[in-house]
Parts: sequence; structure tokens; C-alpha cells
Amino acid sequence: MPDASDLHQPQSSDGMDRRAFAKASSLVMAGGLIAGYGTMAYIAGRFLYSSTPRKLAWMFVAEAAKLHVGDTVEFRTPAGQTVTITRRGQEGTAADFLGLSSTCPHLGCQVHWEAQNNRFFCPCHNGAFDPAGKATAGPPAAAGQSLQQYPLKIENGLVFIEAPTELLG
Amino acid sequence: MTQFARWFRERVPIQGHVLREMTNEPVPNHLKHWWFCLGGTPAYLFVVQIVTGILLAVYYEPSPSTAYESVRYVTEQVPFGWFIRSVHKWAATLMIATVILHQMRVYFTGGYRRPRELNWMIGMFLLLCTLVVGFTGYSLVYEQLSYWGATVGANIAANVPVVGAIGKRLLLGGEAYNEKTLPRFFILHAAVLPVTMILLLSVHILLIRLHGVTELQFKADRDEKSKFFNFFPDHLYTEIIMGLVLMILLSALATILPVGLGPRADPLTTPEVIKPEWFFYVTFRWLKLFSGTAAVLSMGFIVFVMFVWPFIDSAISKYTRFAEASVWIGIVAVFAIVGLTIWEAAVEH
Repeated sequence: MPDASDLHQPQSSDGMDRRAFAKASSLVMAGGLIAGYGTMAYIAGRFLYSSTPRKLAWMFVAEAAKLHVGDTVEFRTPAGQTVTITRRGQEGTAADFLGLSSTCPHLGCQVHWEAQNNRFFCPCHNGAFDPAGKATAGPPAAAGQSLQQYPLKIENGLVFIEAPTELLG
Repeated sequence: MTQFARWFRERVPIQGHVLREMTNEPVPNHLKHWWFCLGGTPAYLFVVQIVTGILLAVYYEPSPSTAYESVRYVTEQVPFGWFIRSVHKWAATLMIATVILHQMRVYFTGGYRRPRELNWMIGMFLLLCTLVVGFTGYSLVYEQLSYWGATVGANIAANVPVVGAIGKRLLLGGEAYNEKTLPRFFILHAAVLPVTMILLLSVHILLIRLHGVTELQFKADRDEKSKFFNFFPDHLYTEIIMGLVLMILLSALATILPVGLGPRADPLTTPEVIKPEWFFYVTFRWLKLFSGTAAVLSMGFIVFVMFVWPFIDSAISKYTRFAEASVWIGIVAVFAIVGLTIWEAAVEH
């Protein structure tokens, strides 16, 4: 009848005892599990992250000659953003125009123009912006944020805007 | 024993008296006070939410083009649809209210103190889950409030340093609210969060059973000989009465104040006056007071302090003379929360 402790004695016939083998194989097993489930987690993350590339395109807005200094047109991009385009100069270049996003840089609500206060106002958290898009009050002013400007260009007397083309559902 | 009883006993090998002993925990006398049932109330309402939620999910279609119409169909066409939806909405409101009251009761009676710190933290997770379930719930209706609430919520997530942008993308399924967004909110609302809450609730209740309910004594109870009464049948009857009262209350609220339907979501126009549900008035006002990142970081810090409060509290009573500071801090916190909520409710902007 062998002593119970004999069962746990190292068997060093081939250079590696049982304990070391059990330890090494456990480590390999744990490593395999982590690698396996880690890969699964990565795949799940990529699956959820759904990265559709943002497609941009130049789009026609208005004839430059028909907009006088101070005039404003509203442009809706295919992706659903409203852009307020105002003529501010008479040089005949793209620099005459300012294309301001109506999406508040704070938390993404839509700002609207308040003529009586000469400002854009965001009803969500009381953000306010001057006609050039610079924040003057509320959380966007505290963070020094401005309304996003869209790139504009003039070709053959026509004003174009560069904006995302992806559609909202 | 009949043949069937023998057959059954062989397949389910548990004796009646063992089962009774397992479930029949002695309940401390103070649980006869109604405000100690506040923990069981949200649990009961949670079951109501699961049942009514499954019923609503039968008709709900989570896509921007169909969501609003499907909710309208439930509300106006399906027999008793208005009732099921109203019960779901009112049970949610009461659930959030009772979770907050339960937490306040635990806080002010010091029920989170050693050795129950971990259960307080599990309770905090449950509170956050309840709030997020509420948020994702009203986002599903695809009203104006749903749309702008979801947009604001996702952008709050984006303000979290380092992981924020990824979090927002995972939540919305894109840079901004799009056709992939609603299914994500639906899965969170109807599967991920409820399952998480069932697991957390199980551990929450298991820990209560392992520790036993905190024993408290009130002056009026001092003369009573027995400090405990039986769970079965005494406390069970209390719970059944509570369940009946809640069902009557929910039916009455759903009938007298049925849930309506706001204007359909319009991604081009944020309404002139926009408010979240009442339980987010505090955070909404907070967001108006500070810049995005500052508001998000300070809110995160406050939630963190709430999580580890049992340890802060024990450090305060260990190293300072103010052993009962938690009561005063709690009173200030309650006044601040109520004050910010009333402020937000009272003004348009």
C-alpha cells in the first residue's frame, strides 16, 4: 500500500516533474483561452463598431451673383445637416461666404437663428453663437467651441459646398 | 404517499421541510414599517416591466421609418395597447422613484456599512442600469424627445476622455444618429440591460440573505419580546399586499393618465423647448452649468464617490470626530438633487 504522499512526489524520469508539467500545461491552457476569447471579443467589437467611411462630395448651393452681402441661404446636406450660408463680402471669391453648420458643437442639437438677438441659439443647453459662429454663452462658450464651418468654393459663378453624402435612414 | 408524489420526489429530490427552512428566514421586526419594503417594490415593478415589455416588443419595430408608427399602432389600434404601454411607462416611473427612495433609506439608516459595502456597490450598478433602461426606453418611441435625447446622450458619452469617441460610435453605430441606431437601443433596452439587472439582482438578494437584513430597533418596538417574525407567511403576506396595492395604483395611473405620443422625431429641428424625463433633470441642469467635458467629468466623479461611499464613510468615522457626517452630507445631497430638479422643471431654458 503506497503512502498517499507518494502520489504527489515528483516523477523525474524525463526531466519534467508532474507539478511543473501541470503548471506549464495550465498556463498554456489559460493562454489559449485568453487568446481564443480575446479574438472573439475583438471580432465582436469590430462587428459592433460598423465603420462606414464618410463620403464627401461637392454640391451646388446657389449662384454667387444672386446672393447680396448679408443674404442667407439654408442648405440641407443629404446626410441631414442644415448649413447656413451667408454672404459677407464682395470680393467674388469663396472667402465672401461663410457656411456654418447648424449642429451645436456641445452635444449635437440643432441651433436656430434668433434675429431679435442677432445670434444662433441652441435650446438644449442654452448655448449661443454670434453670426460668425463663435460661441458667446452657455457650455460651448465655456469650452471655447464654435459652429463647424463647411468648405465652400466658387466655380463659374456658382457656390459649391463640400459635405457628407451618407443618408439618414 | 401517492405514486405520483413518489415519482416527483425522485426527480426533484427535496423535502418540504428543507425547502421551508431554506426560504423561511427570520425577518427583523423593523420590516413591519412600510418604508422597509422599498427594496422589494422596484423588484416587483421590474417583473411588471418584463411582462409588459415582452407584450410591447411583439408589435414594436426598431427602425427610424417604422418605430413611431408601430408605437402609434400599439397605442391606438391594438386592443388594450394603450393600457399595456401606459402600465409600462408608469411602472418605469415608479421603479425609478422607488429605487431612489430605497437607496435613500439604505443611506440614511447606514445599511451600507460594514460588512455590506459590496452590496451597496451592486445597488449602485442597479441604479445606473435602471436609469439607462429608462433612457433607452424613451429613446425607442422615436418622438422628438427620443431623437434629441439619444443624440445628446451619445454626445455626452463622446465627452468621456479616451474611450468616449469609441463609446459613442458603438452606441449609435456611426458618427451620428442613423438607421443603425434604434436597433442598438432596442437590444440594450430589451436584452442586454434586463439580463444584466437579473444577474445583479440575484447577487443583491443573495448577499442580503447571507448577511441577513440589517437589524434596527425603533423606540416604539423596544417592549416587543420577539425581535423577529417569520418570512412565511407573515412577510410574504406583506409582499402580496404590496403587490396588490401596486397593481391597483398602476392600473389607476394608466387609466387616468394614459401615455400619449409626442411629435415624430425630426432630425432637422430641435424643438424650442426640450426636456428629458424627470429623472434626468438633475444631469440636464448640470450640463447647462458647465462645459461638456467639465460636466461629464464632474458627474463621473460624483457617481464614483457614490460607489465608494461606504469606504469614504468608514474613513471619516475612523479618522475624524464627525462619525455622523454622512447624515448631513446626505441631507445636503438630497437638497441639491431636489433643488436642481425643481430648477430645471420651473424654467423653459
